[in-house]
Amino acid sequence: MVTEEKKKELLAKLRTAVISYDEDTSKEAAQEALDVGMDANDAIFNGLVSGMVEVGKMFEAQEYFVPELLMCADALYAGLDILKPHVKQMDLGVKGSVVIGTVEGDVHDIGKNIVKMMFDVAGFTVYDLGRDVPLDKFVQEQLRTDSDLVCLSAMMTTTMTGMKKVIDDLRAKNPNVKIMIGGAPVSQDVADKYGADGYAKDATNALKDAINMIASLKKMKDEAETRKAK
Amino acid sequence: MKSELRNELMGHGAEVVGFAGLQGHMSGELAHLDKAVSIGVDRRLNEDTLRLLVKLQKRTVRFLKSRGYRTLAIPPDSDRKKGTFISKLYSLFNHKMAATSAGLGWIGKNGLLISPDYGPRLSLSTVLTDAPLGPDAPMEHSLCGDCTLCMTYCPSQAITGAEWSRSSPFVELVKLEACKSHKATKRATDGKPNCGLCINICPYGRKSITEEHDGKKLRN
Repeated sequence: MVTEEKKKELLAKLRTAVISYDEDTSKEAAQEALDVGMDANDAIFNGLVSGMVEVGKMFEAQEYFVPELLMCADALYAGLDILKPHVKQMDLGVKGSVVIGTVEGDVHDIGKNIVKMMFDVAGFTVYDLGRDVPLDKFVQEQLRTDSDLVCLSAMMTTTMTGMKKVIDDLRAKNPNVKIMIGGAPVSQDVADKYGADGYAKDATNALKDAINMIASLKKMKDEAETRKAK
Repeated sequence: MKSELRNELMGHGAEVVGFAGLQGHMSGELAHLDKAVSIGVDRRLNEDTLRLLVKLQKRTVRFLKSRGYRTLAIPPDSDRKKGTFISKLYSLFNHKMAATSAGLGWIGKNGLLISPDYGPRLSLSTVLTDAPLGPDAPMEHSLCGDCTLCMTYCPSQAITGAEWSRSSPFVELVKLEACKSHKATKRATDGKPNCGLCINICPYGRKSITEEHDGKKLRN
């Protein structure tokens, strides 16, 4: 069994690897964690993700800029790729699936990818449509996968308006689906106006909101089923 | 710090190392990383070239990070892993820009970096950083002169003959479509996409016949 001391050391190593955007160390530490028999969940959440949370803070404090943020995310994925196959059970209370993409006309997908990463880490099933996604595609994909959640991203005010159409179409087809939007021009006001269930300022918030939404969605479904059973 | 880094890289296989100051020339995302270390190695275009470039790049990153500076390694053009987050930003900066700014050479009529000593026979990689590395003198003009060998020998007449200078860096030197279609035809006929005549023919840095007979390493 792995000693507490060794565990601490490895968690710190994973965390530092993400913060100092060091892919090699991230891989190395992830492998080491598996070798000594550490729990992969522990390594991901208390190591890699804890590092990324710190990176998020540094980004907000304008200590890190976009390039560092992206390299940190790459370092996180490098470790995650090694650890993920060994994750037994993500213990988040809820699990869900999500359709995500950047709307038609918009090729800016960095933010979308970071949000996607948070879903990946949390063990969601992610259907990533990529960028410049035709508006109908979101609806089709949601129906095909029966996802709990649809996330739309837009970077420009001109493409943002496409989100309204997707939301209306989704609602018409499937009133239960939860919809989140994000991106530079998006605000809570816009989310309210467009009829989205949530708006997320950044990736961490997106994940928190998403979990809450899915939890409430699952609850609604359960209640409906119990009613039916009676 | 500068000569220490240069010596370390030269000692591990770099042919040329230059430092560029790029203050005010970087796009927004990269504005804080406005110094560049430009590394050139002998272009042999095999696995080893790539491995060496990557190794030197990692060495540079370690060197600068251990001294508390930030780095962004722009990998060699042939080693851009798709699908990483950071690969989205690579296109914001190109190696030749770093190399000319670091005075390693100029952009020849064939659109490639020409080093006075190695001609177009270098493979490049770049590390951007915020470390206070004093810049080398940038190269301002092309030194191709009247030479038009690459133009003459280009099988697809893709080379326009225009001349590069720092003040007009965006003149069309090579008609990319013509060059690309020639490569495509070549790939279809003999399975090898590479042409490289404009590299082979360049008189800069070309080893003379005698040297080859002396058993020295043949460059291309």
